[in-house]
Amino acid sequence: MNQSDKLFLRTENKEGKCTVFVGGELDLESAAQMRAVMSPLIELSDRELTLNLRELRYVDSTGIGILVSVLKARHAKNAPFVVEAVPPNIRKLFDMTGITPFLLKQAGQA
Amino acid sequence: MKANEEIVTLKVPAAAEYIDLVRLTLYGLAVKIGFSYEEIEDMKVAVSEACNNAVLYAYGDLPSGSTVSAPDVAPHIEVRFIKQTDALSIVVKDDGRSFDAAAAAQRAESLHGKTVDELQAGGLGLYLMQALMDQVQVNSDAGTEVVLTKRLLKSGELA
Repeated sequence: MNQSDKLFLRTENKEGKCTVFVGGELDLESAAQMRAVMSPLIELSDRELTLNLRELRYVDSTGIGILVSVLKARHAKNAPFVVEAVPPNIRKLFDMTGITPFLLKQAGQA
Repeated sequence: MKANEEIVTLKVPAAAEYIDLVRLTLYGLAVKIGFSYEEIEDMKVAVSEACNNAVLYAYGDLPSGSTVSAPDVAPHIEVRFIKQTDALSIVVKDDGRSFDAAAAAQRAESLHGKTVDELQAGGLGLYLMQALMDQVQVNSDAGTEVVLTKRLLKSGELA
């Protein structure tokens, strides 16, 4: 199966901010694709890194695990990381696993 | 099989790219039975987590370069959807290495109340299964069998 059928990733660099638009299904199958896009961006500690999840239809523990990894890596660099436009079904899983306050707390930091 | 049970069985290769096929089958069946959109979303994630574990752990430990352990038949996951009068049970079974269910259950924890440094990316799968389903049972005799059950609450029915 073509990976791009499943997970859509578009990166936008603007005014010192880097936003990754994530759409489709982020699961065990598409996790490698997500990690490959994210790992160079994690290193850019002078830029705010944002994940826009508006078009994300499905996420599982593999996808949430990637968010945890990014969160920790950015925290270690003292670099801003924000998650925005979280759809309700995805938000429910974030709340359940307990990752929500970390994403919101990060968002609140300058 | 009890008289009031109806069973749909799906057998797929134990590979990540087939897990969405399991989700699609679950979706079709759950709609037919009358589960709500939210209940179906819950079950989709839970059944995928069980399949993830089968793909990642049950068959992931064959020693590389070994000539004797290569299986004659490619590993599969068997998913049985058992429709009962008041519930749907989903049995996810693999024939791989049995895993220590008790130890896994202990590791199954959320991220609530932790600091960023304490966060771990692993261990969320089983936690989510337990949080999303009414009942989760893990049997590990030959291979691993995870039984996920969601009760059917028909709207309009008196509790």
